[in-house]
Amino acid sequence: MADAASYGGNTAVGGVSSHEGPEQVDPSGLQAIFDNTLAPATIHTVELHGAKYTRRSLLDYIFKPLVESSPNATLGDVVARVGTAQSKLSRLGIFKDDSFQVFISDARKSPAGQPETTELDIAFNVKEKSRLALGAGTDIGNTEGSAYTNAELRNIFGGAETLTVNARTGTRTRSAYNAALSAPVLGNPDIRAAFEAQQSSTSKPWASHEENITGGSVKVAWQQADNGDSHSVTYSSVWRQLTNLLPGASPTVRGDAGDSLKNSFTYSFTRDRLDRLSGPVPTLPQSGYLIRAMSELAGWGFLKGDVAFSKTELELSTTRPLAIPGVKNTSGITVGGGFRMGLLYPLPFSYGLSGPRSPSRINDRFQLGGPTDVRGFKLGGLGPHDNGDAVGGDVYAAGGVNMMLPIPRVGASSPLRIQLFANGGRLVALKNKGKSKEGEGGHLQMSSRAVSRSMRSAVSELADGLPSMAAGVGLVYAHPAARFELNFSLPLAVRKGEEGRKGLQVGVGINFL
Amino acid sequence: MQKREEGPTRPTSTSTPGRWLRIRNGGPPRHGGGRKLSAARRSSITRTPHKSTMASTSAPWQWPVPRPLQQLFDSFPLVTYAATELPARSQPATSDSVPTLYVFASEADARLGAPSFNPGCLKWQTFLRLAGVTFRILPSTNHASPTGALPFLLPARPNTTPIPATKLHTYALQHGTCPPSEPSTLRLDAYHSLLDLPLRNAWLHALYLNPAHTSLLDTFYTAPASSSPWIRDALRLQLRRAAEAEILKTGSYLSAAAAGTAVVDGKQVYEGAREALEALAALLAESETGWFFGAQRPTLFDAGVFAFTYLMVRYMDGEGGLGGMVKGAGDGELEGHRRRVLEAARWGGEK
Repeated sequence: MADAASYGGNTAVGGVSSHEGPEQVDPSGLQAIFDNTLAPATIHTVELHGAKYTRRSLLDYIFKPLVESSPNATLGDVVARVGTAQSKLSRLGIFKDDSFQVFISDARKSPAGQPETTELDIAFNVKEKSRLALGAGTDIGNTEGSAYTNAELRNIFGGAETLTVNARTGTRTRSAYNAALSAPVLGNPDIRAAFEAQQSSTSKPWASHEENITGGSVKVAWQQADNGDSHSVTYSSVWRQLTNLLPGASPTVRGDAGDSLKNSFTYSFTRDRLDRLSGPVPTLPQSGYLIRAMSELAGWGFLKGDVAFSKTELELSTTRPLAIPGVKNTSGITVGGGFRMGLLYPLPFSYGLSGPRSPSRINDRFQLGGPTDVRGFKLGGLGPHDNGDAVGGDVYAAGGVNMMLPIPRVGASSPLRIQLFANGGRLVALKNKGKSKEGEGGHLQMSSRAVSRSMRSAVSELADGLPSMAAGVGLVYAHPAARFELNFSLPLAVRKGEEGRKGLQVGVGINFL
Repeated sequence: MQKREEGPTRPTSTSTPGRWLRIRNGGPPRHGGGRKLSAARRSSITRTPHKSTMASTSAPWQWPVPRPLQQLFDSFPLVTYAATELPARSQPATSDSVPTLYVFASEADARLGAPSFNPGCLKWQTFLRLAGVTFRILPSTNHASPTGALPFLLPARPNTTPIPATKLHTYALQHGTCPPSEPSTLRLDAYHSLLDLPLRNAWLHALYLNPAHTSLLDTFYTAPASSSPWIRDALRLQLRRAAEAEILKTGSYLSAAAAGTAVVDGKQVYEGAREALEALAALLAESETGWFFGAQRPTLFDAGVFAFTYLMVRYMDGEGGLGGMVKGAGDGELEGHRRRVLEAARWGGEK
């Protein structure tokens, strides 16, 4: 592959050495460029230096729009397009961020009189990142810490394809192996397609079992260039195995032990409008809102598999600064609120919606409670419990309010805050109201009418009495890698069997309610 | 030998603990999804559960709390509502009135309380019925079991502590209306080994390794696990490998043709089974009561023999099959015994 790729132009392309820096460019030419951005301009040549392993076809996607001649292009247009192209190159993730240099020079070496149009030579200098990156480290996710080793092969076929192979073990993840091959679609860094294979084994002590997962997925993720909203569509096929039950495992968990295959399509959406930059600490947004939505269709019709349902989750959170009369600058005090809800609706395996359906399994149902969602409850502490096991529910709603106060003397510019919070939620399972085959064996099936009747009653049960609630006060440390919380809380309202927590609770995570 | 059959399924070697434990009752192994590395770890987990994880979440800091603070703590939560009801799938998992025996069975058979298709499960199912214990059965998998193998029994709610197969004998003596006594004879152990080795190996070979019974194997074990063809294929492969390893463990069926690689010689396996059946028939012929060792009522040993003879006759009654061997053993003593046990266990409708 050529060391320099060149575009457009009707003259031969100069060598690499012909471009040595802006100071080499004729000063009067530069002057002409910046004098009048409305002056007509065309691109004479575009060159890219340093993209040794990158395929021409990938670069075409980025540079074609740049050189495509539009009759009335102005200098300003050209400069804007150069900026767009540079940004795209950078977002491909295969070039070093600090290596970008763009040179624009007047194509005519000797300016002869007033030009009709300015012809420009444009040169990009980049350095490719190393093609193999090996890493190891520790990670903090929601309520879990883990250690990993990671190998990344970049730009494998020259089209910005990345292969990532990852092995990890953690506090709950006994082992996880993951390989993903991802590439931009049609050279657009904002749309990526990925193939992923994974195998993992995770301990779930709140329900006395371990879940082994083997599966693969195909995913297309894209980001809207204009507003930053991100979307993804995933098809996945996963073999789940519930095994290694603890001796005290409940009948519900024992009933769901074994194998199941889930084939599903998932769509997810994120709109993150949290303002992280105007506040004193980037990790503590001062204002704005965040919307997350997820919708999954499993097993229905052509999808097949052992489970069939639709599952929808929605999350909203917002925060705003609290102005205090008399304090000039932003006080650093914020009030925030969050709300989450989810619904799992059993579907038939057949096409259509009228067939009989199976109630949900424990590995598909929602869990609620824990230091990162409803604080003041144990992990999976809310909802139906069988013999101490959190068996999950099919419908939930949870919400919370909090107030962040800077610590006196430490100040608003530190990532430490005092937090006052109150939160609560309700997690309800779908029951089989139609007293069907009690007695000897068999996984019961429900008719579509029984499901819709039971779902209505489950949804109405959400508002039955106060939600299970807790309130408290704590310390927050908002580190860029994760947020740490140490809270003291007391449960206000609980259901029998739910596991509230009186006293101190530590929370480590990324995504808090 | 009996000790080994009845005793805890505690593996002694770390290389193949799971396998031994998994298939010991003639049932399929716990299919591990191809996760070889987890076999040793899994069995260790079964025995030493992650109590530490549980403890750390359930027992927070304990230091002396001043009395007023304690009183304050005690007043929370301010409101306690009734428990949230369990999900729909929890309903059939246990019963409020009768204990539940988790076995390998089809859903239709389970509803009727019909005999399980797994020899280990059928032995205990038969024995509990002979002992007059009231229970229902639920189709399940080895993953659900506290020991890694079915069967096990869950008492009626609210007691949900599982009773593994090793303790079912004691349970039957305590809860049965007519618990049979165990014959005490030195020969019991010797005859037990006939069930554990030749008969069990023949059953394993016929069901798992003989391609003629692939559809039976699928009906029994892979189809209930998943509707997915590739999961079924993966499980079938695991089951076959485990069964072969299990048979080879006895070491006496190596095919002469295969130098270097261990291949099971089916002829030897079936010949061993024929000899064992003849020996059992001869033993039964000595008895005047119609039950082994001259017992007044059928014992656990009768249930153990019945578990194999019933399944062999019911599912492998074809030309030269194991069922034919059962019927042809001695003067048909085993066939008569099979019918008597069906009668005694109140399975009159079964053949």
